[in-house]
Amino acid sequence: MEPVYAELEEGELELPAEPMHLNMGPSHPAMHGTVRIVLDLSGETIVRADVQVGYLHRGFEKMCERGTWAQVFPYVDRLNYVSPMLNNIGYALAVEKLCGLAVPERCQWYRTILGELARLSDHLTCNGAMAMELGAFTPFLWLVKAREMVWDILEEETGARLTHSFGRIGGMANPPSADFKGLCRATLPKILGLVEEGEKMLLKNRIFIDRLENVGRISGADATALGWTGPCLRSTGVAYDVRKAHPYLKYDEVDFDIPVGTKGDTLDRFLVRLGEIRQSIRIINQALERMADDGPISCDDPRFVLPEKDGVYTTIEATIQHFKLIMEGAKVPKGEVYSYTEGGNGELGYYLVSDGTGTPYRVRIRPPCFQITGGLSKLLEGRMLSDIVPTFGALNMIGGECDH
Amino acid sequence: MPTFKLDGKPIPFDAGETIIKAAWKQGVDIPHYCWHPGLSAPANCRMCLVEIAPKPGARPVTLDVLEWDAKAGTYRTTQKPKLQPSCYTAAAEGMEVLSDSSEHVRKARRDVQEFLLLNHPVDCPICDQSGECKLQDYWLEHGRYQKRMRDEPVHKPKGVVFGPTIVYDGERCVMCTRCVRFMAEVAKDPVLDMRERGNLNEIFVAPGRQLDGHYTFMTEHVCPVGALTTKDFRFKARVWFLRTASAVCQGCATGCNAHLDYDPRYNRAYRYRPRDNEKVNQFWMCDEGMLTYKQAHDGRLVQAKVRGEAASMAQAFEEAKSLFAGVPKESVGLVFSAAHSVVKQIAPSAKALQALVEDVGSGRVTHVIALGAAAASATDALRGATVITVAAHQGPLADVSTILLPATSWAEQSGTYVNSKGIKQVSDKALEPLGASRPAWRHLLDLAGALGYEVSTTSLKQIRAQVLGGATVEALAPSPVTAPAE
Repeated sequence: MEPVYAELEEGELELPAEPMHLNMGPSHPAMHGTVRIVLDLSGETIVRADVQVGYLHRGFEKMCERGTWAQVFPYVDRLNYVSPMLNNIGYALAVEKLCGLAVPERCQWYRTILGELARLSDHLTCNGAMAMELGAFTPFLWLVKAREMVWDILEEETGARLTHSFGRIGGMANPPSADFKGLCRATLPKILGLVEEGEKMLLKNRIFIDRLENVGRISGADATALGWTGPCLRSTGVAYDVRKAHPYLKYDEVDFDIPVGTKGDTLDRFLVRLGEIRQSIRIINQALERMADDGPISCDDPRFVLPEKDGVYTTIEATIQHFKLIMEGAKVPKGEVYSYTEGGNGELGYYLVSDGTGTPYRVRIRPPCFQITGGLSKLLEGRMLSDIVPTFGALNMIGGECDH
Repeated sequence: MPTFKLDGKPIPFDAGETIIKAAWKQGVDIPHYCWHPGLSAPANCRMCLVEIAPKPGARPVTLDVLEWDAKAGTYRTTQKPKLQPSCYTAAAEGMEVLSDSSEHVRKARRDVQEFLLLNHPVDCPICDQSGECKLQDYWLEHGRYQKRMRDEPVHKPKGVVFGPTIVYDGERCVMCTRCVRFMAEVAKDPVLDMRERGNLNEIFVAPGRQLDGHYTFMTEHVCPVGALTTKDFRFKARVWFLRTASAVCQGCATGCNAHLDYDPRYNRAYRYRPRDNEKVNQFWMCDEGMLTYKQAHDGRLVQAKVRGEAASMAQAFEEAKSLFAGVPKESVGLVFSAAHSVVKQIAPSAKALQALVEDVGSGRVTHVIALGAAAASATDALRGATVITVAAHQGPLADVSTILLPATSWAEQSGTYVNSKGIKQVSDKALEPLGASRPAWRHLLDLAGALGYEVSTTSLKQIRAQVLGGATVEALAPSPVTAPAE
């Protein structure tokens, strides 16, 4: 047994109680990810919370450094597995920055739309799961039904519901399907409807509000000092969003707002995500208008982009191109780059080093929820045991990207 | 030393040297198919064309060319500099040569590449050269166009058996004539030539002959594409799965430098490729030597034996101890074969071996320790003695040995070899030891310990230091080897 650090004042508790040492996780039904929190409890009050991450550590940075540059895509799918498309796009943009590639206009719009769809999936899951962990099962079903609709679109586009591996260096694996725009336009109002219904059940619910409001509060300065980004930072009132602060793709050409909170508590984080769902739908609607119906989806650079498949079977040039890119990998110019995008949880950064060969020399990933999870114990200490579930749920720690 | 400038970089050269060779010596690769540092230059592939700036005051040599003007929708006459083959143009003091930096050169390379691939079949998936093919490398480096020709390509004979070792594919051939020139200039047996013209031409063997002799593998080695393949390596492995170790060929006392290509997944050697070394084998190896990579697997001893029965290493050493117990040192003879040792210093001369045989016959020597099982001439005579043999391969001596200890072959250990000219060369480990085999020096040290001899050496480092007499291993790297890998 580890020592207990509780130094309790006499008479502080209603009943005299021994300080208690409790493990929460790594596998716990009400926990949002695979994480262990070692608690020192005084009654039900948390005296000390030691957050231990690493239970989903797979060494993926090392795995990424084994294959070719293109073979990294399936790995990054499994970072934040609730919004794999955002990871794909982030990685593609990082490699393209290193190669000095600019993808065609149509691809930029396409990536913008797919990325925002993934953000929808991310926020719907986070808010839905948090409600469920607090016992509100029905809204969870509403929000997850909406997520299923997002996944239907992504499945139509990529062939996979969850791990799409759809990004490519210099473009996307396939152009938008024939009815992509129609599908999006038909689905988005339904998603919005479900979100409205779901939130109606929660935001007028006294129990739900009481469990979130003023729980897990953090100031903007503290959050910034911890390196927080994304919805969790914005809940404190700091309006930092990579899409606005350092626009990439087509974010500087679309209108959208950054929802921010005021108190930095768990309820604010919940509301910021709900607001971002609406903003994402707004972005997608604008992008659908602006995306061309035809035109290339990938760059025309044989050094990085695979040839058309029918050419591979019939012409020696395309066969060679295919062979060199698959067997040796695209030769990314020597150098290093840090490229960052707004992921589901905040700033998702890739620091890549190339030694000029077909295999990445170093793939370092800055997962947004690593820093956020770093602030968890501060949010918990002094709170009640039952506050862990909503506080941790609203941080949306994803083991896949946090542990590395 | 006179110098010229290649893309602004000064390149020193010897008088009479061509631009491409001088650049190659400095590690600068001008793309080429037909040129080979060990052969004459026919300048027929046109890949190495460079732009040479006119001498000060001289009129530039230009060509009138028609260029498509997309805006006007018509051709217009323009001029471009006359490019020159760098494999055939001698470098001159102060010459300004443009290679990568010239737009005309880059376009010429692209066009040459397109021309060479016009009739090329879609063979990469079934071609042994795939992965080390110049057509592939140069397409991505200098071509990067998609096919414009829509006609059926010209078909030529495929799978033509040129001789006992080589198979020819006419469709993959780029007519660089390296194989023709190799046979004529190096093998001095001009058995290959080119027939027909234009897109119909192909390599053929002189009527009534086949491609045979001692250097047929080298025609495949010089082939920059997959036109010539060896029967030995054909369809055996894909080169991107192979790893390479720098080895020294064990076929004879010349000790040609070679690349030993092996597949680490199966712990198996697949082929030799010559490793350039001006002092030993230049660029070449003989057919017999090229096939000696097989000895890494064929006829190997991988299990200790006591009187012909399989035994563990511990049992074998126990047996050796009891057999040699009380035997006076002067009754013990030693035989070292060249395959396992440093040729000149230690290996037995025929005379010494004869003396040993006589000693065994007369009973002066009763116990023999042999390194290597190949001493055929002594086998019968040694039948009367107690023999411990440490060997990597089966041999006559193995049959008469009381105790047999399996040693690693050259492919499974790094070692130093001294060739017949006294050149010390390092060979690197490629494979993991087969079966129970261990390096022979380790066996010998353990044996010496077990039999009660005093041993001053305990590590490979010390043994090497003794053999080399002060020279370090690092100093033995092959002499000024060639720059860009072929």
